[in-house]
Amino acid sequence: MRALWFIALRNLSSRKFRALLTAFGVLLGVSVVLAIQVTNQTTIDSLRRVFDRAAGQASLLVIPSSQKNDNLKQSLLPTVQSVKGVSIAAPSIRVNTLPADEATNWQINLNLNGVAAGNFFLLYGVDPILDPQVRVYVLAEGRMPQAGRYEIVLTRKYAEDKKLRIGNWLILLTPNGTIRLKITGLLAAEGVALINDSAVGFAPLKVVQDAFDLQDQLDEIAIRVPESISSKPALLENLKQTLQGRVGKNGDVVYPDSRGAVVSQMLATYQLGLSFFSIIAIFVGSFLVYNTFSMTVTERIREIGMLRAIGMSRKQVLATVLMEAFIVALFGSLAGIPVGLLLARGLIRMTDAVITPSEEIFSVSALTFLEAIAVGIGVALISALQPAMRAAKISPLDALRVRAHSDSKPAKMIWIGGFFLIAFGYFIIYGTDWPESWMFTIGSTAVLTIFLGATLTVTLAVQYLEVLPRHLAAKLYGNEGRLGSANVRRSVGRTTLTVASLMVSLTMIISINSVATSFKKDMGAWIDSALGGDLYVRSAITMRQSFGNQLKSVPGVATVTPTRVLEVRIAPESLPKNTLQNEFYLYAIEPDTFRQIADLQFTDKQADAEASWARLKRGSAVFISNVTADRYQLSRGDSITILTPRGKHSFTIAGVVLDFTGQRGVLYTTYQDLQTYFGESGADRFTLKVAAGYSVDQVAEEIESRYQKRRHISLQSTQEFKQSVLDLVSSAFRLFDVLGLIGIFIGALGVVNTLTMNVIERQREIGALRSMGMTRLQVMRMILAEALAHGSMGGIYGLLFGFLIAQVMILAMNLMIGYNLSYKFSFQPFLVGLAIAFLVAQIAALGPARRAAQVNIIEAIKHE
Amino acid sequence: MACETENGAVLRTENLTKIYRMGEVEVVALQDVNFAVQRGEFVAIMGASGSGKSTLLHLLGGLDTPTKGEVYFDGQALSKLNDDQITLLRRQKIGFIFQFYNLLPTLNATENVALPLMIDGKQAFHYQDKVNELLHLVKLGGRETHRPDQLSGGQQQRVAIARAFVNQPQVVLADEPTGNLDSRSGKAILELLQQVCKDYCTTIVMVTHDPKAASYADRVVFLKDGEIVNEIASQNGSVPIDQIMTIMAALES
Ligand SMILES: Nc1ncnc2c1ncn2[C@@H]1O[C@H](COP(=O)(O)OP(=O)(O)OP(=O)(O)O)[C@@H](O)[C@H]1O
Ligand SMILES: [Mg+2]
Repeated sequence: MRALWFIALRNLSSRKFRALLTAFGVLLGVSVVLAIQVTNQTTIDSLRRVFDRAAGQASLLVIPSSQKNDNLKQSLLPTVQSVKGVSIAAPSIRVNTLPADEATNWQINLNLNGVAAGNFFLLYGVDPILDPQVRVYVLAEGRMPQAGRYEIVLTRKYAEDKKLRIGNWLILLTPNGTIRLKITGLLAAEGVALINDSAVGFAPLKVVQDAFDLQDQLDEIAIRVPESISSKPALLENLKQTLQGRVGKNGDVVYPDSRGAVVSQMLATYQLGLSFFSIIAIFVGSFLVYNTFSMTVTERIREIGMLRAIGMSRKQVLATVLMEAFIVALFGSLAGIPVGLLLARGLIRMTDAVITPSEEIFSVSALTFLEAIAVGIGVALISALQPAMRAAKISPLDALRVRAHSDSKPAKMIWIGGFFLIAFGYFIIYGTDWPESWMFTIGSTAVLTIFLGATLTVTLAVQYLEVLPRHLAAKLYGNEGRLGSANVRRSVGRTTLTVASLMVSLTMIISINSVATSFKKDMGAWIDSALGGDLYVRSAITMRQSFGNQLKSVPGVATVTPTRVLEVRIAPESLPKNTLQNEFYLYAIEPDTFRQIADLQFTDKQADAEASWARLKRGSAVFISNVTADRYQLSRGDSITILTPRGKHSFTIAGVVLDFTGQRGVLYTTYQDLQTYFGESGADRFTLKVAAGYSVDQVAEEIESRYQKRRHISLQSTQEFKQSVLDLVSSAFRLFDVLGLIGIFIGALGVVNTLTMNVIERQREIGALRSMGMTRLQVMRMILAEALAHGSMGGIYGLLFGFLIAQVMILAMNLMIGYNLSYKFSFQPFLVGLAIAFLVAQIAALGPARRAAQVNIIEAIKHE
Repeated sequence: MACETENGAVLRTENLTKIYRMGEVEVVALQDVNFAVQRGEFVAIMGASGSGKSTLLHLLGGLDTPTKGEVYFDGQALSKLNDDQITLLRRQKIGFIFQFYNLLPTLNATENVALPLMIDGKQAFHYQDKVNELLHLVKLGGRETHRPDQLSGGQQQRVAIARAFVNQPQVVLADEPTGNLDSRSGKAILELLQQVCKDYCTTIVMVTHDPKAASYADRVVFLKDGEIVNEIASQNGSVPIDQIMTIMAALES
């Protein structure tokens, strides 16, 4: 056994460079897997932490009842406080507002899922004594406000952004005008200061209630219990039941992290994408390992034959090769850890850009490290197994045989199997109907099956497609180019793996890019038709509906339609079981004016638009978005029960309409229903159509000069809005672009690996060519041409499968998220992909090409 | 032939010395070798294993650089040329034949022969006739499309010879061209070398262990420990084998 380890170590150290390359393959797999693991864990944890901090040390929360659409009553507080086991009950209220000076340039921001969320200032009304006992307040300077006084603490980050200091006044918008609060303290970036991306402040409860006309109302009562109860789930559950009994229909008692769970659900789609990518990384990493080991074994046929001749058993040969793999994998994995962590940092930054709150803290457990190392070693051993078995089959006689140079034609079975796998993967995706919970597993298995199948068919393509790059190579690199390109046919296996790894990474880039393009096109079209109009007039504070008439009287305004947005809650019984999210957005519109400006698209194929609109106008009816319909399994004709301030009311679903605002459910109703069932009016947004002969800017200027000062309104043209939405989509896809880049890096490594192997293996040949008068430059050109062949074959495959996988991805998004996307062909991703394939292969080939050019002629030709 | 009229040394060395240093140890592979080869001459170099034959050949072909001394090719000092210039010199004026043939496994016989032309950026098909003529000369007519693994060792070596001559080099350097062949194919190759040497007026320097092979040359030069120690010229078209064997025996003892 010792002797075997010794031989394995010797083998490795005699081929240091190759061992390094192999270790690099392992490093790559391990680091990507680790990075993605850490990123996923960290983003979930940091989100959870933010919510935990918001809930702080509270063990239970009392929140508004899911049976009624109303706030908590402050009168509930003594009841809660009197329950045995409750040590502290801290009341709070939250309102969204804006500093007065910002109102005019206030714009709507969108988060990842397209939900319109203003960059509001979140104002908490709290009890300055009790609240710090349930939540984490870390004052950097100053003090907490005093109860009843017009005072506020801000986060230091927000204060710095706004150039505010202790002692300054913060002026906030309220429904009745403004409120002036004196800044008494600044919070360090911890605990509560992380809420709402630090755009948050805490003022005395009563002050906030008065200023916002919310007398005696609460959003939440946070409850702290003694350690003896909070540490025992059973006791806590008991207390929860007791509290619920006391509170009755006036509120719900919940555990604090239920909101965190909702948010993690948001992340899920993203994380699935990441996880899928780590599978790809492992796939390609194992290529590299397989490549080197299969070459090492080929090269050592004689040596192994000799060892067999002097009495080494087949098992021992197998063991030696696997030991080598183990040693390399161990080092590769260990080195992969720091690289993975570094990568994770970058990825987390990227995620940050789209999913706001996260902290600079890694969530990594020892188990994660062990897992990553295990994956590294496992994958390396599996990848080395086939070469190892081949080594074990070598007979002592092979030591005596002169090595035959023959380029093997691929077995028919291989590429026929490849076509079969592609067809099979395709069938899984398109020919069958899987339950939603299996979708990801089945879908990614199918995609991997297709990739594997495609890889197998490369063996055939190398034989028949190589003539294409050869012409190109001859054009670019002359005769030596021709030679180099033809070389890819020599080690079909190695070429296949290289082409495959390029294909995989290109496919990723092209398909993601295509999906993004399709998404943007569909979304753009939707914005144009569904939102319509030329100009939006918005305000952070709800506007009076009659303001619409004033707007209409502005010269150049053809049509005005108001929109009001409410958050409503849906009665649990009209949603599927275990639905966490029951808060929906309700958009109230005026059908007649709305339809002069915009148009809703009904996704339900049998729907008659006129009939649907007519049904909506008859009242007690809503339209739902297609995403909502899909997620909550609702369709036209169903009814949905909404909790209105006047109790539950059932609405008929009059139609399913196209909508891209993602995460929450979206409902449309008429102003009439809004008035009747919710007692609300007003407008959060007016959409204007500009009359012919007037320019949008002109009208916007006129409105600004007339109303901006008095009304705190902000204007945005549809075009600007559309652009901001599309920018948002781009940034959401940017993370995947980064992954695509990593993929390209991996593909490039495949090229480096293969070409290095080829150069090492063909030293003699290169020496002979040099002796015949081939210059170093020509040698380099020859190797570059070989890479050109890899690149162009990888490119062709990447384009083809990028096209296929893009459609699979769109299908998956439609099924999993409920979108109604359609694939839109555009040249750009394909051109970019092709350019990348060529460039990357050429750049990757520079190293090996230089190595080839440096080959010492005498050394090369000396030995057999 | 043009050969006889144009006299003078095509290859000349001056105090050619090659020393390999490996840490503390110095190996003197060649020591002050002064040696000249006339145009159209067929010279054999003999010597015991490790005597410096290959080293000398490599220096003559500009594959390696001497520690001291100089190689003159057609009067041109090789040390004055840079790597690319030497490469071009090799491409246009020197042909190499190796013991292990060193053919490209992916190319067929014709393509292998045309390889130096391709390297020179020429369109191989313009030279089809010339390549065919060479293949006929080395008796491989009908084998044009065979690849190396479909050819015997002797046939591969003949392809390598044809390849060495395709650029009409002034000098062909051969390192044990018959070392891997049986005596019959070896004989055929040597006759071939002798013939093309005369037909094309090419200078040939051949390293060999085999006295029989050396006897085909115009002159045999003997190396011992990196120095030229003896020399015999041909009489009536060949160098007497027994003389070669006597000298070799003395060198190896
Ligand atoms: N790269 C090198 N490093 C160190 N020593 C070397 C190197 N190449 C050759 N030598 C030494 O130089 C001497 C001459 O070597 P060379 O290859 O010229 O011998 P040779 O006459 O061709 O022998 P053979 O008939 O066995 O091929 C030998 O002693 C050899 O060990
Ligand atoms: Mg030698």
